[in-house]
Amino acid sequence: MDDLLTRYNYDSFVPEKFEPWMNFEASPKTGTIGPDFPLWNLDQTPTRLSEIWSQHDYTVVEFGSFT
Amino acid sequence: MNAIADKYAGQNIGSIFLYSHEAHPGEIYPHLTSLDQKFRHARDLRDVLGVTRPILVDSLDGECHRAYGSMPNMTWIFARSGLIVYKSDWTDAHSVENAIQYFSQIPNRRQAGERLAPFHVERLDHRNQDRVQFYKGLERNGPKAVEEFRKAFPTG
Repeated sequence: MDDLLTRYNYDSFVPEKFEPWMNFEASPKTGTIGPDFPLWNLDQTPTRLSEIWSQHDYTVVEFGSFT
Repeated sequence: MNAIADKYAGQNIGSIFLYSHEAHPGEIYPHLTSLDQKFRHARDLRDVLGVTRPILVDSLDGECHRAYGSMPNMTWIFARSGLIVYKSDWTDAHSVENAIQYFSQIPNRRQAGERLAPFHVERLDHRNQDRVQFYKGLERNGPKAVEEFRKAFPTG
């Protein structure tokens, strides 16, 4: 597994591993078009973030995980 | 957040959950090493934790999550054009619903002839910190997750 995969999917909740990923201040600004990325449905079929946001007047996207 | 998604679905408001990475890996739900594992954990989010919104999965290296600031539980709202209209570094249902109620009025206001111009606003919202539920969640991940959180935040 390469360095990015290992660092992003850190194995322990310790500050030196999770703090580098908390970059909200550097995230895209409101009033701009959000960057688009490929995503996958739970059945592993591909989609894109832009396909999701284009389906409704507004789309709420919550990021998170089981843990 | 599921209840809000249901409440506003009829008003052309979409809601999804985007699976990122394990914030508090433990023995039962360890850090991710494969896409298959990521899909498995995402299905458990639906089946065990009861997330009823559509769940989408990011790449294993979190390309989308990282581009949006990679906070563990943040919420963004997009207009149909992809315009970012709301971003919150933590998810709070009250804050999200308040934003939805504001934005869902905009099409009606335009239809009524109002001439609307966008502007930026910053606001410091407050979220409910339910420590009992939070620690129950950590326990589900495995004892390691509990121990590491206590070490990182001794007063948490």
